[in-house]
Amino acid sequence: MIKAVNLTKIFRTDEVETTALNKVSFEINKGEFVAIMGPSGCGKSTLLNILGLLDNPSDGEYFFLGNEVSGFSEKQRANTRKHNIGFVFQNFNLIDELNVYENVELPLIYLGLSNAERKRRVESALEQMQIMHRRKHFPLQLSGGQQQRVAVARAVVANPHLILADEPTGNLDSAHGEEVMNLLASLNQAGTTIIMVTHSQRDAEYAQRIIRLFDGQIINENIRAGSVSANNL
Amino acid sequence: MFVNYLKIAFRSLMRQKFYTLINLIGLSFGIAAFVLILLHVQHELSFDKHLSKIDRLFRVVEIQNEPGVGEQHVAITMGPLAEAMKQDFPQVVNAVRLMGGFNFSVVSYGDKYFNEPNFQYADPSVIDMFDIEFLYGDGETALSDIKTVVLSKKVAEKYFGDASQALGKMLMFDKVSYRVSAVMKDQPETSHFFFDMLSPIATAEALPEFEWMKRWGNNSLVTYVELDSPDSESAVNEGFKAFLDRHVFIEKDSWQYLEMYLQPVKEVYLKSGHIKFQSMSAMGDARMVTIFIVVSLLILLIACVNFINIAIARSVKRSREVGMRKVLGAGRGSLITQFISESAIITLISLFLALGIVELVLPELNKLLGTSFSIDFTGNPVFNIGLLLIFIFISLTSGYYPAFYLSRLQPVAVLKGVSTYRGKRGGLLSKVLVVFQFVISIGLIMAVYVIHNQVSFVRNKDIGINYQNVLYVGFGDKGYEKLQVVKSELMQNPDIRKVAGCSFLNGVAGSQGPVFFNDSAKSKLYVRFGFVDEDFFDAMGIKLADGRNFDGSHTGDINRALVVNEATLRAMGWDNALQQSIMYPQASDSSGKAEIVGVIKDYHYYSLRSQIEPAVWGWQPESFRGVVINFRQGADITAIKAFIEQKWKDIFPGIPVQITDAAGFNARSYKKDQDSFTLFIYFTLISILLSCLGLFGLISLVLEQKTRNIGIRKVLGGEVWQITIMLIKEYLLLVLVAGIIALPLGYYLLGIQLDAFAYHITIGFHHLLIPVLAALIIAFSTVVFRARKAANSNPVDALKYE
Repeated sequence: MIKAVNLTKIFRTDEVETTALNKVSFEINKGEFVAIMGPSGCGKSTLLNILGLLDNPSDGEYFFLGNEVSGFSEKQRANTRKHNIGFVFQNFNLIDELNVYENVELPLIYLGLSNAERKRRVESALEQMQIMHRRKHFPLQLSGGQQQRVAVARAVVANPHLILADEPTGNLDSAHGEEVMNLLASLNQAGTTIIMVTHSQRDAEYAQRIIRLFDGQIINENIRAGSVSANNL
Repeated sequence: MFVNYLKIAFRSLMRQKFYTLINLIGLSFGIAAFVLILLHVQHELSFDKHLSKIDRLFRVVEIQNEPGVGEQHVAITMGPLAEAMKQDFPQVVNAVRLMGGFNFSVVSYGDKYFNEPNFQYADPSVIDMFDIEFLYGDGETALSDIKTVVLSKKVAEKYFGDASQALGKMLMFDKVSYRVSAVMKDQPETSHFFFDMLSPIATAEALPEFEWMKRWGNNSLVTYVELDSPDSESAVNEGFKAFLDRHVFIEKDSWQYLEMYLQPVKEVYLKSGHIKFQSMSAMGDARMVTIFIVVSLLILLIACVNFINIAIARSVKRSREVGMRKVLGAGRGSLITQFISESAIITLISLFLALGIVELVLPELNKLLGTSFSIDFTGNPVFNIGLLLIFIFISLTSGYYPAFYLSRLQPVAVLKGVSTYRGKRGGLLSKVLVVFQFVISIGLIMAVYVIHNQVSFVRNKDIGINYQNVLYVGFGDKGYEKLQVVKSELMQNPDIRKVAGCSFLNGVAGSQGPVFFNDSAKSKLYVRFGFVDEDFFDAMGIKLADGRNFDGSHTGDINRALVVNEATLRAMGWDNALQQSIMYPQASDSSGKAEIVGVIKDYHYYSLRSQIEPAVWGWQPESFRGVVINFRQGADITAIKAFIEQKWKDIFPGIPVQITDAAGFNARSYKKDQDSFTLFIYFTLISILLSCLGLFGLISLVLEQKTRNIGIRKVLGGEVWQITIMLIKEYLLLVLVAGIIALPLGYYLLGIQLDAFAYHITIGFHHLLIPVLAALIIAFSTVVFRARKAANSNPVDALKYE
């Protein structure tokens, strides 16, 4: 489903040039749950942004669903994104001015679905995330865990093939964090591919594979569940 | 401590260069426009203020109501009035009559010849009442002897080079000599009644042709009175009825209706628009002054609103700063001082920029208005105090919101929920202010559009008389004797089509009086008198509606035949005017009657401000004061003028020739409207630009805060156009709300404005639609420009922002 070949990302300011990703290559198959780990500043979020088509690599190739997408225009990227990828962020990134229902509905509006279809899907996603009773509330009226459940509902409502989660439990207490991880795991069992950036070893346990990054490079890839560990370097 | 505030304020402004720049531009242009308008208004309000007795000086005004013309206010009064008022009213301590010099055309000294439009015959009391100061000669006796003249310094220098040499010299008034008895200081240009030559009115009274001055039936001069106290005005006004009964209504064939009242001299310049006949050298319009004051305040307000709006939008960011400062122990007072110093710095810099702009613009404005405004820091305390007030006003209004609102925030609340802190209050206030700006902009656009339509309506309206390709040359009161020579000499030029004698180029003499139909006093009608010869109507393109023109083939029509306009028929209720005869004051027939031989189509002999009134034209050569010369389209006008000048020198040696371009003359009657309109357009443009600038700044800031919102939407698949529309919708709605408020207001106020014209356009649907559309387009382009940039940005950057 995903094939990264020598992905490189360099940030330039007037004086400094920072290599955030340095020739990173890997593959992720459909239905996998992959965790990306590493210390702060190792390039995890940069990689996730590129995988989520939120950003373009400076060099290298990125195949998404068989297409080379690293040279896509913003319009093509937006189009690919909205049909295939759902996002969950550490800080939830809900729109404060919209209520729970409207937040979840937003991706469907951009997909151009009918009002009735949207209603059906939003309600189903809210039921699934057990947040239906809060549908009229605004984000600031919810607890962190509830906000993240809304964010997950928003990520799944368009039935994406891939969910990208950037430290989904980072702002939550352990009970709420576990709740969210269980949600992701069940989505994965239902067939959705999940790539998750995390600091937490506990969260990483939910994944089948862990990619470890350090200074923009992959230092190892663990296949979990007792299987072989392979060193990519 | 204060230096510290300034330092922090300065840094904070430098950190936000873009918004500081928007604030600076907005405020400096706003203040500059305000200052310019203020100079204009100050000039308009300064008229006659040099008169030390201004509070006690009044002009006498009549209210007439004669058949044919309806009620009219007239500030030209009777010869005996001044003396009688002094006798009858104990409150009247002094009175003066002023009258133009109708009985001569040229003043000369040696080989110097001039027309003197600012010559006045006056009672000696003018010296005391109008504070005339003398440079040479004895003020006490300056106006005692007849056939003497007092000159202003400027005029004296014109004739004699050196004003001190003027005393005792003899000036020729046509063929009569007047001795220079004194030289006075030049009168200020800001006088509603400007004179630079004075001669005792007794000089005129002694002449047989001024016999009518002794009667109450003729209005011919201006009367000013000085009261013992400003409060005596009402007592005199109440006494007028008995006064008129005693003096005026005892005369036979007197006025049918007459009232009098006093008009304070301090109001004459600005509030005389309702007076139909008056003698003034300059006239202002109180309404225009009010409009300009309002516009200048609006512009200043718009600039302040920009400032406040940007401050509100920035308060999100600032609230975090304020929170931190409070945590670190800053008190409310110190925060308020900090914010106020920031706005004070901006205001101060803007003020200096504004003065620079004013210096740049003033020469152009002076050219446009024919004024000589200048920035005067030493001699104009009002101006300096005004600047100080502007400084304080803007610093406080613009600094108020951030200062008092933000400083009240609770630090914990601020630090917790920064991103949403802006809250409903700030958001609503900001919207109200945007609506307010657009109400002003839409209102002003509508005003410009409506007034523009009215101006072109006036310009293109068929006024029934053709002033194109027409010149007028005056020849004084004796020139008619050589009319036939003038005509035949001028007609030698093949480019000249027609030459016609007339009382003035518009065909009427400026005088008005009664005529009687059918010998009956009941069929009295007040008419305008016009004196023209047989070629006039043809030369001026005036069409005949019925009957015939004066017959040039024989002179039998002179002082016997009359032509009237259609308005006369309407006033009399006639279907046919021909063969009606009129008791005509100048009739040559022994019966005193003259016969109507033709009816001309109505034409506007005055501007479109006034209705066409009944008028009677007679072929009366001794009342001709010049000729109109109609030349062929495309002819070389300079050559024609040179030709006329040459002929004039031959025919009237020693009399300067003054050629008036009729089209220019007609345009001048709308010049004041045109000037005001031009000025109005400039200031409207400034206010619209300021509104745009403010909107641009505001939207930029709001978008900055919506970066996260936009980023999330983009991550979720929102496309640039969808996001742009979302951002625009809100502002377009505000513009529509502004339109709903502005249009009825504009409709009402402009309606009043248009009513000042007797002939005007009506406000139509498009006058309402186009301003709103214009505002929508302005708002739309501003938002799109900014919103597209935001929507196009990389979503990752947007999310990083948080």
